[in-house]
Order: sequence, then C-alpha cells, then structure tokens
Amino acid sequence: MDIPIIRDVLEESNARAQENRALFDRHGVFVVNIMSSPGSGKTTLLSRTIPLLQARGLSCAVIEGDITSTLDSERLKPLGIPVVQANTEPFGGDCHVGSHLVQAALKHFDLARVKVLFIENIGNLVCPAEFYLGEDRKVVVLSITEGEDKPLKYPLMFRECSACLLNKMDLAPHLDVNMEALKENIRRTNGRLTVIPISAKTGEGIEHWVEWIVKKG
Amino acid sequence: MHELYIAQSILSSVKKSLPQNVAAEAVTQVRVEVGQLDAVVSETLVFLFNAIKPGSGMPAAELVVETIPVRCRCRACGEEFTLDLPVFLCPACGSGDTEILQGRGIRLTGITADVDEEAEHGHSDHS
Repeated sequence: MDIPIIRDVLEESNARAQENRALFDRHGVFVVNIMSSPGSGKTTLLSRTIPLLQARGLSCAVIEGDITSTLDSERLKPLGIPVVQANTEPFGGDCHVGSHLVQAALKHFDLARVKVLFIENIGNLVCPAEFYLGEDRKVVVLSITEGEDKPLKYPLMFRECSACLLNKMDLAPHLDVNMEALKENIRRTNGRLTVIPISAKTGEGIEHWVEWIVKKG
Repeated sequence: MHELYIAQSILSSVKKSLPQNVAAEAVTQVRVEVGQLDAVVSETLVFLFNAIKPGSGMPAAELVVETIPVRCRCRACGEEFTLDLPVFLCPACGSGDTEILQGRGIRLTGITADVDEEAEHGHSDHS
C-alpha cells in the first residue's frame, strides 16, 4: 500500500517558531538570530553592541545558545540585561538552537520590556542555518581570520542571512586575507547580503551595525 | 549533526501521516525529498534513521532520500538556472541578486506499508 503525501518534515519545529513569532509581534520585539563559527566574536560583538542600543533607548535581552556552559552568560552579566541560557548541558549538546529551546527561554523574559532580542546561536556554520526560530533577521558573523572561501563552503548560511558582519578587521594588517576575494565570494553566494566590516574589539564599524539594527535591517 | 534531528522529525511526520488502519510496524519504505542547499548528508541521515527507527516502532522502514538540485531565478534579468556548484551568480548577466526556486527544504513525499489486503475493507486502489 502506497501512501502519497507532501509534508514538511520540519513542521513541528516551524510551528514552535511561528508561536515565538506571534509573541514577538504582540510585544513589538525585533529579534536577531546571530550565527557564526566558534570563536568569531559573537559574544564580544554583543558586549559592544548592546550599550549603544541602550543609549538609544532600546532595551535589549539575549538568549545565549552557545554550548560553552554559562561562560558566555557570565561575560554578558556586566550589561545588566536579561540573559537566558538556552543550553545548560556543560559538556555541549545540540548543534543548533531549536525553536523549542527559544520558546522555553522566552518564559523567563518580560517581553513587554524588551525592544531588541538577540539569539546567540551555537558556533557552527552548518546546522543553525537550517532552522527558523521566529526571528526577524538572521545575521552571520565571519571573522576575517577564517579564510575567504567560507561563503562558498557554507552556502545555506550565507543565503539565509540578511547581513554579514566581517569581524576582527583590526587584524587585517597582520593577515594575508584578500578582502576583495572574500567580498566577491559573498556576492557569488548571496548578492543581497549587507556586508558590514567591523571590529568588535576596537569598535570599528559598530555604528553601521547598530544603525542596521535600529532601521530593522 | 542536524541529521539526527531531521531523522527524528521524519519518523514523527510518518507517524502523523499514517491512516488509522495502518500500524507503524507495517511501514516498509519512507520517501523524502531533501534540498541540496540544506546541507544534509544523505548517508548520515539514512544511518541515523536506521539507528533510531526500531525505537520509533518502525523497524522495517527503509529511508529513500531524493536530493533536489538547487534552481534559481535572477531578479535582474529573469534567467532561470540550475546550480552544479554553490555559486549563485546569474550565468546570463552575472548578477548576484538571485532567488531560490527549489532545492531548499525537507519534505516527506510517500510511505509504503505492508498491509494485509483483506484488512483493507475492499479498497481496490492499493497495489
């Protein structure tokens, strides 16, 4: 007996994401899902970005999905904003933040007091790109130490995102990175991607990124 | 390793799609389409599916994965093209502003179950 059918295999994941989306809409929260490989500077970026958004009157919150136990949450503590750790397994676990983990984390926030919510995804350029969490925008952070070829090797990530932050620009004088080749590889993967060179360490370019968030991408 | 989550999701989708008179144990084949852009390794997906299917009550289910190539349309000139490599530039005009037509997403497309024909209450459309 053959049973023909067309069914989205990720329907349960997407249903949770739509529920998250409805909550964000109800409270007017702009949600950015930040993805990258490990060590590209996501947490440093948040530490640098959030005070600038707060200075503009935009209250922030973070769902911390990275699998470095609670280390990243500790780093964000001085900001004095709500941070919820989505992944509490100290030896690692999932390869991506799932919409159900976001849903569980949201129970710990007073969303009425949040204007911008960052989801710091797990450091991985493959799996997180697959899953919709209910966010407004996906953003990939690529540090220029990672090589010019990464957009071609992880096409789904670069197709799914609206903006690409090229981080660690302060290291450019010390590296052999060919910035033109890197930008051309990004264009070959996704010509619509907004590319913002930054240094989360020195603050270079961060204003452009903050402006992108304020204008909601 | 999002293949494990996807394998679990496939089994869950199959369970929800089975008619009431078909038991999960009777499923012999599960067919899915996987977009090439989804970066799913078919061999890994099948391996993990086989590892967890007995626990989902479908020990006899074979997973058949069809990979769907990526097709794009150029927003600048309207050209439609299929990708051999993950380079999304329009081959006609060189624009990088292209939209995906197919090759993204994972869909359950069919299930085969080994059912007792007499138990099918005289349905004539089965094979």
